[in-house]
Amino acid sequence: MVLTLTVNGDHRASVADPVTPLVDVLREEFHLTGAKPVCREGFCGACMVLVNDKPTPSCLMPVALAQGSDIRTVEGLGSGGTLTAIQAALEACDAVQCGMCFPGMVVTLTHLLATSPEATRDEIRAALSGNICRCTGYERIVDATLSALAVK
Amino acid sequence: MFYIAPSLATALDALGDYGPEGAAFAGGTWIMRAPIRHQLLKARYVAIGKIPELTEIRIGADTIEIGAAVTHAALASALADLPEFTVLAAAAGRSANPAIRGLATIGGNLATSDFSAADCVPALLCLDAQTEVSSRSGRERMRLDTFLKQRSTLAPGRLLTKVVVPRSRAKSAHARLPLRKAGDYPVAIVSLSLDVDTTNHVRAARIAIGSVETVARRWERLETALLGRALDPAQAADIAADLAGEFAGRDSVEVPPWYRVSVLPGLIRRATAAALGT
Ligand SMILES: Cc1cc2nc3c(=O)[nH]c(=O)nc-3n(C[C@H](O)[C@H](O)[C@H](O)COP(=O)(O)OP(=O)(O)OC[C@H]3O[C@@H](n4cnc5c(N)ncnc54)[C@H](O)[C@@H]3O)c2cc1C
Ligand code: FES
Ligand code: FES
Repeated sequence: MVLTLTVNGDHRASVADPVTPLVDVLREEFHLTGAKPVCREGFCGACMVLVNDKPTPSCLMPVALAQGSDIRTVEGLGSGGTLTAIQAALEACDAVQCGMCFPGMVVTLTHLLATSPEATRDEIRAALSGNICRCTGYERIVDATLSALAVK
Repeated sequence: MFYIAPSLATALDALGDYGPEGAAFAGGTWIMRAPIRHQLLKARYVAIGKIPELTEIRIGADTIEIGAAVTHAALASALADLPEFTVLAAAAGRSANPAIRGLATIGGNLATSDFSAADCVPALLCLDAQTEVSSRSGRERMRLDTFLKQRSTLAPGRLLTKVVVPRSRAKSAHARLPLRKAGDYPVAIVSLSLDVDTTNHVRAARIAIGSVETVARRWERLETALLGRALDPAQAADIAADLAGEFAGRDSVEVPPWYRVSVLPGLIRRATAAALGT
């Protein structure tokens, strides 16, 4: 059976088994390697993508259930080579280290910026409780988010 | 085989037809981790997350009815303005992490027999919840503790469809201890619902303990010991410490069994203080 998906605005077809985790289809079939399968358990957030604007761990979503949804990966957030507000703030604050967690961080924070313009430091930390970073200690990521919120 | 059921009747039909080869697929946050637990996936799944009847929450004068496929996030936001259900709003709204709460369902939380750290189970035990189980041949109501005993042997084709919680004037609270501040499983959970008079004397108490043993259960000896007393968190913790010997903590890689039991008095203190609003 062919599954049809809308990824970053493009219509794509997949022949994967319906219970295949979305992250594997994104990476292996569509070569969108931003989302990373790290824990495959919903704990780390490195595989986070937006499904109908909601941050969703793509390791836990079977591809069959992603049909009919608007899927957006980190590759599809900026347009025309320009960075989004949160991407620019993370770069300006020098928040990235190894980068493994960052596609997921950017996806979660994109949603936070869109839905919680008044977010406090504590609310940002709570929003990131499903995005694990091994390198940074989070403080610069939170600072960058606050600076992106202040600009808006 | 993955069937996305449009209605309850079609889901029950499909589950009935598939028999032991099939299972319900709700949020998938447990099922999709089967490979990590070295378990096999089922041959057939019936996705129930798009069934209108199962995703509704009805708030009535005497009860609230929660469809089994309601997500933790949806439940927490529906209960935000109902202080009597603080325990359930906290269980649904603080467990796991935000993205998981947007997927994981209350039915999945209650139906997963291998999962001892489920937050909604003790919360609903202390609220005296009933469950509704349906199949092609009809619907049946049972107490949550009865459902918990039956869930691992539930006949194929039977689906948890609804959770019914009575409304009351009791005060409730949920205290949990994860190893990190947030995002991981609780070592122990105390959910309680206390009816106190104007001088804070306990008229009725229901206290449930989760994650310490394999299956959550009520702590009836502590409930009895608190009856008629003026509620005092420190004293409640002392009584809990005296009675905690009845629990044998479960073994796991995260913490030794005794540790789960040893944190109970502290959680009882926190939960009673929270219920009193102090
Ligand atoms: C990173 C992470 C952290 C977590 N932390 C917590 C936590 O702190 N506290 C907590 O309580 N939980 C936690 N969880 C567990 C989560 O709550 C459970 O995985 C979830 O509740 C299961 O619900 P689901 O809808 O995803 O179930 P599914 O994965 O869809 O199903 C689980 C099982 O239940 C069966 N099932 C589902 N719905 C029904 C039904 N209506 N009738 C009969 N059987 C059914 C399925 O067939 C399957 O066997 C966490 C999960 C993750 C991934
Ligand atoms: S890989 Fe999906 S949350 Fe870690
Ligand atoms: S920058 Fe390395 S894991 Fe976050």
